[in-house]
Amino acid sequence: MYLSGLIRKEFSRIKADKRTLILIFTIPVILIVIFGLTSGGGPTEFYNAAIISRDKIPYETPEFPVESNSTLNYDDIFIDVVEDDCSAWGLIESYSCDNEEEYDDAFEECFELLRNEIIDVFIILEEDFSETIENETDTTLTYYIDGSDLEAVDAIDVAIQEPIGLFKIKARKTANFVIMVPYLEYEVPFWETQVLNYALSIVLSMLILGLLMNLTSLSIVSEGPLPRMMLTPTAKKEIILSKLIANSIIMLLQVTIIFAMSAIFGMFSLGSLFSLYLILIAIGFCGICIGLFISSISKTEQQANQIYIMLFIALLMFSGSFLRMDTLPLAMQVIINALPLSHAVPLINEVTKKGLPIDLFHFFSLNLISLGFIIGAYIAYRFKKVEV
Amino acid sequence: MIEKSAEIMVNVENLNVKFGDKQVVHNVSFQVKSGEIIGLFGISGAGKTTIIRVLTCQLNKKNWNGNVKVTDLNPAQSKNHPKILSNIGYVPQLEGLNLYYELSPMTNVEIFASTYGLKKKNAKEIAKELFSILDIPEDTWKKRLKKLSGGEKKRVSVAIGLIHQPKILFLDEPTTGVDAAKRYEVLSYLKKLNRKLGTTMFLITHDMEAALICDKSAILRDGKLLEFDSNDNLIASLPSGGLLTRLTIEDLTENKIKIIKNFTPVQKTIRVGNEIIEVFIEDFEENLQKLIEYTIKNNLKVTSMSKDNATFRRYFQIRIQEEEEKERTLRESVQIMEGEA
Repeated sequence: MYLSGLIRKEFSRIKADKRTLILIFTIPVILIVIFGLTSGGGPTEFYNAAIISRDKIPYETPEFPVESNSTLNYDDIFIDVVEDDCSAWGLIESYSCDNEEEYDDAFEECFELLRNEIIDVFIILEEDFSETIENETDTTLTYYIDGSDLEAVDAIDVAIQEPIGLFKIKARKTANFVIMVPYLEYEVPFWETQVLNYALSIVLSMLILGLLMNLTSLSIVSEGPLPRMMLTPTAKKEIILSKLIANSIIMLLQVTIIFAMSAIFGMFSLGSLFSLYLILIAIGFCGICIGLFISSISKTEQQANQIYIMLFIALLMFSGSFLRMDTLPLAMQVIINALPLSHAVPLINEVTKKGLPIDLFHFFSLNLISLGFIIGAYIAYRFKKVEV
Repeated sequence: MIEKSAEIMVNVENLNVKFGDKQVVHNVSFQVKSGEIIGLFGISGAGKTTIIRVLTCQLNKKNWNGNVKVTDLNPAQSKNHPKILSNIGYVPQLEGLNLYYELSPMTNVEIFASTYGLKKKNAKEIAKELFSILDIPEDTWKKRLKKLSGGEKKRVSVAIGLIHQPKILFLDEPTTGVDAAKRYEVLSYLKKLNRKLGTTMFLITHDMEAALICDKSAILRDGKLLEFDSNDNLIASLPSGGLLTRLTIEDLTENKIKIIKNFTPVQKTIRVGNEIIEVFIEDFEENLQKLIEYTIKNNLKVTSMSKDNATFRRYFQIRIQEEEEKERTLRESVQIMEGEA
């Protein structure tokens, strides 16, 4: 085994190649700087609403006569709560509709407001709103959310509890329930750079995986003298191994830089930083293995570039960050589980936001994927027709 | 006569190579002694590269059969590959396959030296010696290779092939892509290396000038080895021992060539230019005068005439022509027989 010479060769080539040097050390720094500088503030935590009240007040039936001291205009109370009392809510418009025509007009207006992103949600208070509140029977609250923002849908689901809770207190209807979500568990503290930290899991995994894949995806296919190397006693496994070792050393340096730059821009981690660093290294290693795999199956540089782009898009799409895994068919879930980002993202999330130790299942899965790709790379290169 | 095994660097007996149903090398046999320079000549598809691929362990055993030994080791056995590859060097046709342009010549040789397990210090010493023999200027040793001239790159490529001091060096088209003046330079460096280091060399080439430095030449056509001998012997096997007369005839036509061919002592003619023909005749000195008289008698306007020795290029042309004629005749007789049947 003459690995040391081959490893030295890898370093000499990288040192001499300005493009690679820029890719390794400058691009991640630039990306983190840009991301860090542009990611002040936090995620949307304030929701603008419009309310359409169809409530029939005062409400009176023979079974439930109106009492003189009864406060039956509960819809006004609810509207007041949203307008004045909620910390996460603001009222843009409210409508009181006595008939269907008025309701249709109000609905149309709200629909336009939602489309133009002036409001995030509009709430309908149904005809029996006051009745059900008064009688402490089930109240229906209908609200329409902009469904193009899945994250906002989830967030409003939680946030709607605030006006409901405050309304119940104000209406003195607190006997049976009060639902309040004062703060989210495992959220990034408001004094931290929230956008950066919420996006950290996907950004770091994507950045490290993508850069390392890019670094290595051309390393075999673009090395002209490599076939000639086969006319020396060098074995193919030594070529793959030397590339794996040399690129891993560079990856360690790269991950350290990314880690340090993220820390400078306010990376928040509730859990161990060392665990996070280990996870980033595992992701980087996976990137190298995938890159080498791409390089060994490709016949030309152009082909390698195309495969890299296609694979990277697929990895992102099926990272579990864009499509919720549990909503997908089982076969798709299996495929997603065989891809690295579906393990990398939760690994980072659990350490940084929940303060948990490294999840062994995800960690070993990630390493297993790396192993699979590197074995694949070796097999592909082993049977690749190499001629001088 | 069987040569002493220690002296034989390459022994090929009845080598046949097949890719699927297509046989690309037919029963090739030859022996190469230590220190010889062998030229493998042939037009594209002749089988030169395929034979070299067998010798350099690049071809799967399932594709070939025959008794082949390289430095006394059989390339059919994969366990012999590392040893064979340690004993041989290879200089590819394109420098891009041998050189890391972004690195210096010294780093390049060090990289390849390390693949043979050579220590850096040792590699440097050998590299310096090779660079000196090959006249690679010292101030370029640590410059990036892409800044070197084409000829210098070629020489660095040769140095890489020799860095581990192999017993045999294979050179694929060493003069291709090199301009005419540099071609002789490259060839003379190879001869110089051969003399100084005693390395056995295989030159795979289209370039007939390369024969100038070859001790023996192999002529291949359609996977068959037509000849394998020293150039002197090959040329001497031509009529009149390779002596020829070069005639310039005004308005040279096929008809006029036919007239010359009809002169009995003429054994072979070869058209080498628009109005130039080379003629091989039996008992050269005796029949030359008769040929002149014959041309006058037949109203052939000979504007110049010279006497020369055939070159290897001419020998190659004649040999290939003969082969083509043989094939044509064979084809024609087959067609006649088929017609009769």
